[in-house]
Amino acid sequence: MQLSFEEVDKRFGDLEVIKGFSHDVVQGQLIALVGPSGCGKSTLLHLVAGLEKPSAGKVLADGAPITSPSPRRTLVFQEHALYPWLTLQANVAMALELQGVDKAAAFQEAQTWLGRVNLAGFEQYYPHQVSGGMRQRTALARAFIAKPEVLLLDEPFGALDALTRMALQDVLRELIEEHQPTVLLVTHDVDEALYLADHVLVFSARPARVLKAFDFAHCEKSHDLSGFAAERKEILSLLGIKTEVAAR
Amino acid sequence: MSQARRLTGPKKYLAVVLAVLFILLIWQIAAWSLPDFLMPGIPAVLDRMSEALLQPDFREGLLGSMSRLGTGYGFALLFGISFGLVGGILFFFRETLRSAIVILQSIPSIAWVPLFLIVMGFGNLPIIVVVALAAFFPMALSVMNATESVQPVHVAAARVMGASRWQLLRRVYLPAVMPELITGAQLAFGNAWRALISAEMLIGFGQGLGRSLAYSGEIADMVGVMMNILVIAILATVIDQVLLEKFKQRMLRYQYV
Repeated sequence: MQLSFEEVDKRFGDLEVIKGFSHDVVQGQLIALVGPSGCGKSTLLHLVAGLEKPSAGKVLADGAPITSPSPRRTLVFQEHALYPWLTLQANVAMALELQGVDKAAAFQEAQTWLGRVNLAGFEQYYPHQVSGGMRQRTALARAFIAKPEVLLLDEPFGALDALTRMALQDVLRELIEEHQPTVLLVTHDVDEALYLADHVLVFSARPARVLKAFDFAHCEKSHDLSGFAAERKEILSLLGIKTEVAAR
Repeated sequence: MSQARRLTGPKKYLAVVLAVLFILLIWQIAAWSLPDFLMPGIPAVLDRMSEALLQPDFREGLLGSMSRLGTGYGFALLFGISFGLVGGILFFFRETLRSAIVILQSIPSIAWVPLFLIVMGFGNLPIIVVVALAAFFPMALSVMNATESVQPVHVAAARVMGASRWQLLRRVYLPAVMPELITGAQLAFGNAWRALISAEMLIGFGQGLGRSLAYSGEIADMVGVMMNILVIAILATVIDQVLLEKFKQRMLRYQYV
């Protein structure tokens, strides 16, 4: 699915969050949005998800304006988005049940997906019984089970420790390669953006506008990002960080 | 995590047993220090109770009371939960309903009896309506207040997964407010029970538990009075602590694992 932003403005009352944002996202691309806290990156995701409407301008999915949420465009939240009253399996199955799949089939499929994110055996656990990393694996399974064409990731691993985060990035990367959704990734972690994204957009403080776009398409990536030191340094300096200490 | 903050198993039962023994002790001390015709002792009252339970009249009265309670309380739960949930997503409706409840709740439910008696006549209906009214307010209020603290991310996640409004209510709001809903249902039960007994005492219709108590009082039959009070206490405790508590543990299973 192709996404286009045409001169998008978004205001909440007097607060101008996004101003004149235009960008096209080609089918299958992974764009990382990096910027200071509260600059409106998450709002961009909410616009694509259909949870918010632009104050001016257009957000188009395959040429049609986005008016309401749709399972074709799904959102993964930072944390606490699993339902505490449902088991991991029921949480994942709910994505299908809400689309009218019957319970038995949805649970069957959910079990397969939990296995896919290495959570086989944890089907009957409740979210509070497992670690933060396992919860986010479940959230990924819940997102991918509906076979979305657009995947919106709102700091999906922001609450995890560095090692767990890297493991989850690999799980995510595999799933994306397999299913080829168009992905918008909001992150505070420059390394995460470098590792996962084809393009990185660096945003200014509110109201958000793009300071610079980086193109990493067709680059071979690993967690050793030393080959991208120059870009990393430039992104950090655009974000106002002067040393090599990474922004968190 | 949550288990550490409450007593479980044998210790909890011990606490309950101690509370019961304490109440019975006070009663028996009162019985020893007052003459029999003022305060009968526990054995005499227990004898009367086993006698009464064999009488068809008393059993029918008990059954009548229970069916009035069940009907009134059932309606209150149904409407309280539905209104509360709908108030959760329609903000204007919520504020209106909340204000109305705050005003109406200040009127003791028993104060409605003369009105309902005249409008609806002698019979089960006025009692049922009073019971329903007494239970409806805490039920609707607790559900409605709980909907305000439903996490926005839970609602957003369901909307992104394509939930309709009905599915949002059924699959997100209802389970999310379940802990407060059950607390509300227990509160509502207390109200319903008090309303039932006092309305029955006041109306003097038929042979309900409240009527039986009032009648014993009128003829100064203290054994009968204490027997009815005991039945009232036992029934309420069983319903609240056993039935509603079981329901709670079943519905909130995820909190106990």
